Amino acid sequence: MDSSDFPYISLSSFVCSVMRLEDISNAIIAGDEAQASALAKQLLDAGTPPSQIITEGLAPAMAEVGRRFDRLEIFLSEVLLSADAMKAALKVLEPAMLTSKSVAKKQGVVVIGTIEGDVHDIGKNIVATMLEASGFEVHDLGKDVPVAAFIKKAQEYKADFIAVSALMTTTMYNMPRLIRDLTDMGLRDLFKVIVGGAPVLPEWAQEIGADGYGKDFMEAVSVFKGLTEK
Amino acid sequence: MVVSFQEAVERLENGAIMPEHEFDLRVGQLARKYVKEFGIKMNPEEVVNSDDGLADSAFQAAQQLFVELGVYCTNTGRVAKFTEGEAKEAINSYPTKLEFGEGKEKGFMTPRQVEDRAPPWVNFSAVGTPVPSSQFVTVMRSYAQEPLANAFSGPSLLELNGRVVRSGAPVEVEAALFNVRSTREAARLAGRPGLGSHNLVGCAEKTAAVLAALHPDFGVRKTDGVFVAALGEMKVDYERLNKVPFLQDAGYHTGGLYGPLMGGYAGGAAETALVLLAHFYLGRLMFRAEFSNCFPLNIRETCNTTPEMLWLVSLVSQAMRRNTNAMHTMNAFLSSGPCTEMITYELAAHSIAATVSGAHLNPAAPARNKYPERCSGMEARIHAEVGHAVARSGIKRAEANKIVKKLLEKYESKIRDAPVGKKFSECYDLRTVKPSQEYLDIYANTKRFLADLGLVV
Repeated sequence: MDSSDFPYISLSSFVCSVMRLEDISNAIIAGDEAQASALAKQLLDAGTPPSQIITEGLAPAMAEVGRRFDRLEIFLSEVLLSADAMKAALKVLEPAMLTSKSVAKKQGVVVIGTIEGDVHDIGKNIVATMLEASGFEVHDLGKDVPVAAFIKKAQEYKADFIAVSALMTTTMYNMPRLIRDLTDMGLRDLFKVIVGGAPVLPEWAQEIGADGYGKDFMEAVSVFKGLTEK
Repeated sequence: MVVSFQEAVERLENGAIMPEHEFDLRVGQLARKYVKEFGIKMNPEEVVNSDDGLADSAFQAAQQLFVELGVYCTNTGRVAKFTEGEAKEAINSYPTKLEFGEGKEKGFMTPRQVEDRAPPWVNFSAVGTPVPSSQFVTVMRSYAQEPLANAFSGPSLLELNGRVVRSGAPVEVEAALFNVRSTREAARLAGRPGLGSHNLVGCAEKTAAVLAALHPDFGVRKTDGVFVAALGEMKVDYERLNKVPFLQDAGYHTGGLYGPLMGGYAGGAAETALVLLAHFYLGRLMFRAEFSNCFPLNIRETCNTTPEMLWLVSLVSQAMRRNTNAMHTMNAFLSSGPCTEMITYELAAHSIAATVSGAHLNPAAPARNKYPERCSGMEARIHAEVGHAVARSGIKRAEANKIVKKLLEKYESKIRDAPVGKKFSECYDLRTVKPSQEYLDIYANTKRFLADLGLVV
């Protein structure tokens, strides 16, 4: 094998690219929105494909943020700052992603919200952030979301997943309503329904006919990924 | 004069507009700022804080945090601000004597002090654990019959006569009515008809359902109470605020309910302690709360028996007790479930940390408050008896700290995979409403363990 087997790239620009990918990861972990945007632009200008910036810079950074949060080495506000930094970098990459041939593949489209009657959204926010960080297109409908709104928005966004959260036992019982309404409207096969939240147990998720259940954000992301690969 | 409820709501409607996400981040930013400025830090050797100066600093820091942060309303998207003078007036305006119950069961909740020998007031509660309607009264009776129960409240419902109780549906109103009727029935069956309820409705989320149940014909009394909850960290909404004018006018006791998450928007234990303290201002100004019930939780473990959560419980209680007369109960959330050795250790640790720090008690939410039917009067009994023993013995915080650390050695490593324990029907005889011998034996062992450490329960 000689050097002609490889596309020409100087050692210095290769090292620079690796360093900047590491730098953008660090900027995201630190929640530094301005730095993440600036580095995304520098990497693009240097010819790094947007898909590479995402898969080798942004995604590993958010995975590390998730691991640190799981161990409570960092807290939710830091996670949200990191997510904001990631979004800022993605915004810079967006125009290039539209023209690039090597666009990072979207994992799937998710509409997510806290079910009708329930105004607790911290858990839902964490899952939404981590899904976005993992390459899903996430449409967060907020809290106290009527069953009909979940269905309408899932159709509008051509979603693959409807993700529903509840913190109260009384609000949790609006989840089976969502599944029944989807069935009665002949839409059940169009969407995978994932449920979660403090009172939701895996056996109950199965009983109501949900397609998946996540006990926490780490498990939730794996469940979405697993169902995407099916 | 304390800012009126109407004025406070005006400010929610006319304060500075702010995206909710920005407010959430601001909670953590300001909490970090004041933690740093006032040097609020956990000494790992002191799971039960013994530093009076630290407690006082936490109180001062929280007051400044409240004044700078304000209260966010999710309906208006605006922040209500209060001056330092208004905040001080509010925190000093909490009542210092609350009457619950009637007849032989009439009692008065009054403030305790740090290391007080007066026993804690104990509100026995199933804290929203769902149970079937067929067992509802029996479960409530298991709490009401406990001699140390000063007041009590019920669980939540898995179903009402076969129909699921869905928030916002008519059945939720039926559930609320069932809840208050059952409260009185359980008290009568326990031989304590006059026993009061500190939170009349635990089966309904919507204000319409809660208020519908507060009719004297259903057995409620003006000496009973209703909780009004804050939403997340330092936020309120109209759904819950709508209870306030009614409760004020009708004269029921109003309890503020706050559960900030350690690891959440506030940050770590020190930051979350300040945010919890700031809620006492929110409670008085926005809810007209007369007392408060606190359930700070570790976001990962959904309990408050980890070392840093016990420290937070002790620090916040001492800060309040040393600087105000506002009364509060500490609500135990356990990782393990009923009829396990582990839950007896968790209950004891939480009760000791709270009681020696001057708090009243509100036991308990077993098995992370997640698993149906995992609740019984025994958990509340253990928590209350340990609390009474702490007060009776007159132990100081340093001694309490040693005992709590020994208890932590027993369970801390098991929190992540804590056993969910047994259902009510598996650890109580449903006919006699007596705990099983197995559960009594487990508790007896823990009492021996505590006695060896110098605390006779």
